[in-house]
Amino acid sequence: MKKRSKFEIMKDILQTVQNNPDIKTTPLLRKSNLSTLRFKQYYEDLLKKELIKETENKGKFVNLTEKGFRFLDKYKTILNFIDEFDL
Amino acid sequence: MQQQLMGRMVQMGLGAELIYAFIIIISSLMIYFGTKELYELTKYKGIKYFREAFLLFAIAFFFRSFIKSIMILFGLSRPHDFQLLGIVSLFIFLYTITLAMFYLLYSIMWKKWRKSPKIIYLFHILAILIAILSLITGNITIILLVNILLLILILSITYIAHKNPRKKGQSIHLIYVLLSLFLILNVIDILIPNFLQLYQLMIYLLSIGIFLLIFYKVLKKSGSD
Repeated sequence: MKKRSKFEIMKDILQTVQNNPDIKTTPLLRKSNLSTLRFKQYYEDLLKKELIKETENKGKFVNLTEKGFRFLDKYKTILNFIDEFDL
Repeated sequence: MQQQLMGRMVQMGLGAELIYAFIIIISSLMIYFGTKELYELTKYKGIKYFREAFLLFAIAFFFRSFIKSIMILFGLSRPHDFQLLGIVSLFIFLYTITLAMFYLLYSIMWKKWRKSPKIIYLFHILAILIAILSLITGNITIILLVNILLLILILSITYIAHKNPRKKGQSIHLIYVLLSLFLILNVIDILIPNFLQLYQLMIYLLSIGIFLLIFYKVLKKSGSD
């Protein structure tokens, strides 16, 4: 299986959250196909970049932010831009 | 009659300088603001340095047009002749344009240099040194030598980036090399005013062409309006 790039992993996690609103972190970890440590790094990075948000309501639920939706919307453009300018 | 002719030539020279600077400043700023969303969404280091390079180009060309305008208006042969304001403007121009070239290089090389992030400080120091050296020495040979060395450095780094087999055939490296070459010619044009006078129009047109080409690519790939 081809190794996923950082952006691909970010996109996959965000897509999982988009398709499963109010998802909890444990099923999100399972669906992300990452080790716990790697998932934690990505999860914290997504929170820091304000692409996802946590809501507390008898447990921790994860949802996309407005920025997260825009990231998914612009995903292909971002990749094309980085590739075009060799960034 | 002769005075009128001189006045018209000054007007034309000033007009050409201002139009030239305006096109480069506007296209650079549009690249900077056009890539704002992509950076905000990703916080990607490559995009950060790419867009900051163009912000620096805009600043550099603002000061370049200021120096050139003063030189034309007051009939000065060197920017140094315009006292402290001329020297400060020249320093800012030299520092920002050199740093912009380094930032552009860093945007394509940052992954390879990930283990030494402090290299960016080295670029700032180098840009300051190049600016000071070019300012204090009036020697044409030293100015040319410094700029040729800078160009060789840029060429070598771009060649290393281009050697990556996955990226072969990428035209952006060639565009960056041409951009660096014309920016260095712009620097020489300011520091040694009579040196490139014959080719000035050609340098201006080609510089504008390269900036507009990059601007077009950014517009096409960033999906910005």
